[in-house]
Amino acid sequence: MNMETIALAVFIFTYALIVSERIHRAVAAMFGASIVLFLKIVPWERVSYYLDLDTIFLLMGMMIIVNTARNSGLFEYIAIKTAKFAKGNPIRVLLLFSVVTALVSSVLDNVTTVLLLTPMLLYISKLMELSPIPFLLSEIFASNIGGTATLIGDPPNIMIGSAANLSFNEFLTNMGLISLLDFILMLGVIYMVYNRALNVSSDKRRRIINSLESLDEKAVIKDIVLFKKSVATIILVVSLFFVHDKIGIEPAVVALFGASLLLLWSMENPEGILERIEWTALFFFGGLFIIVGGLEETGIIAEVAKWVIGHIHSQGEALLVITWFSAFSSAIVDNIPLTAAMIPLIKHMGNSLNIYPLWWALSLGACLGGNGTAIGASANVVVIGIAEREGIKIGFGDFLKMGMVIMVLTVALGVGILWIRYVG
Amino acid sequence: MGLYSSLIRRKFRNIAGKRYEHVIREYREFLLTKEEMVLPEINSILMPLDRFVKEIPFDVYDVLSAYDARVLLVYIIDSQIFQIIRQTLNKEASEEFRKKEEEQGLKIVNKISNELENYGIKVQRRLFFGNKSEDIIKLAKDQDMLVISKAYGSEITKTSPLSPIVLKIVQHVYIPTIVY
Repeated sequence: MNMETIALAVFIFTYALIVSERIHRAVAAMFGASIVLFLKIVPWERVSYYLDLDTIFLLMGMMIIVNTARNSGLFEYIAIKTAKFAKGNPIRVLLLFSVVTALVSSVLDNVTTVLLLTPMLLYISKLMELSPIPFLLSEIFASNIGGTATLIGDPPNIMIGSAANLSFNEFLTNMGLISLLDFILMLGVIYMVYNRALNVSSDKRRRIINSLESLDEKAVIKDIVLFKKSVATIILVVSLFFVHDKIGIEPAVVALFGASLLLLWSMENPEGILERIEWTALFFFGGLFIIVGGLEETGIIAEVAKWVIGHIHSQGEALLVITWFSAFSSAIVDNIPLTAAMIPLIKHMGNSLNIYPLWWALSLGACLGGNGTAIGASANVVVIGIAEREGIKIGFGDFLKMGMVIMVLTVALGVGILWIRYVG
Repeated sequence: MGLYSSLIRRKFRNIAGKRYEHVIREYREFLLTKEEMVLPEINSILMPLDRFVKEIPFDVYDVLSAYDARVLLVYIIDSQIFQIIRQTLNKEASEEFRKKEEEQGLKIVNKISNELENYGIKVQRRLFFGNKSEDIIKLAKDQDMLVISKAYGSEITKTSPLSPIVLKIVQHVYIPTIVY
């Protein structure tokens, strides 16, 4: 068996394991990577080339910031404040929680965002005696759409930004407007579909307001000094992201600087914080980079890129193909492994095409494609998993009906904007 | 468990790990539980009395009058003490004890009953020999609320501000309880 076949087999086998989740995704990726390294498909001296440390350190830095900030009760405070602002009105609950989810997801990771907001959303649904499904679906879609807006919002964007050397501002300029319009579109669709189910009587609303007023958001702040320091650090880090390209530092450096500053300033126990870094996610990324590196080393990616270019006749066609292929694929395969495989492919296409618009096409498809199915993105799995633990069933078919509509509409709107900007 | 359900569970476990357990534990500290969110309907209130419950604070009457509920006043004379007297002294002494206890019981029950009725509360009375903790726990199963004195069943002191009988009762009843 030649090296090409082995590299391809490892790639397919690992991705199948990731989709089925029969074994932990990090273990699958590490095992696949170890085979590729053991057989010297990727030589050891090339590991540092394939291992995208920008992505890994950016994720690590943001994880440290989030874990430290969590100790202060910041996220619970946001959840209670949002619930109180909604004043027991289901439409306001839907709108405000979606806005907060999208905003938080655009700067912090989607999984943490939904993990911290979903219990509050379920609590309010119980108070309103309404089905939580519209609220949960809206939260999932908002998280994926919000994450699309920035360089640090969603792992595929971090990977794309690192691979293509794209700045935070470039992401905001290209994906920010698309995300905003997609967000409005998504809310419109949810409202149209669930409008009738989002009503509570004025009596009940009064009771809900009383129950929510009894929650003391200040009481959830465990450490007010840490709370203030966390907010200040997050603002500083986001501000630095806005200027990182102008001052010539990498996004990963900004995140690590913010993380170390917060650890130093807060004097929190670093062991506890560093222990809570999602090491499995980082090893998962590392493994994927090496496995995809195996395909590059053996020339498979170059061959596929040559074949794709041979069948694509224009920039516009490439934009459409990349967008829709990544959207539908990431609805089936997790968007992280999909992006890991697509990045070198697009890089190889750079010999004969202007690939700058294609990065946005990949970002659009990979991030928003996750809305298509229940297993398309991590946020979907987490929200559906929490709902299931609380006895609320969101079936695959139920999600698919709504998810596919949202995915097709939002991707179509996004690709339309990209087309106008880069092709038309 | 379906294929989809088990896939979601596996993926959830692999993505979220134990983070959700931490989050939910933190939320539990300030969010009401499912049971706490349902306001219990109070139609019947159990109020145990005995020789140690001499006075009932007016605040308790105020609270009870807020419910449109019937109050069951229960005076239990400790049957074990009655048996001990009978076995260690004689039948006459035990009868004397019974007579005195019943008289005192009726006096207390009538006094409290009159005061409750003055507040417009419907009252039912019972006086019997039994086990103070076991019988109250049994009776509480058919009632919506328990209102019990800290001194029920024994004298209270500065160092022991709650009667052990009350402590046992509140650990075994599943209805809302007011300890006064």
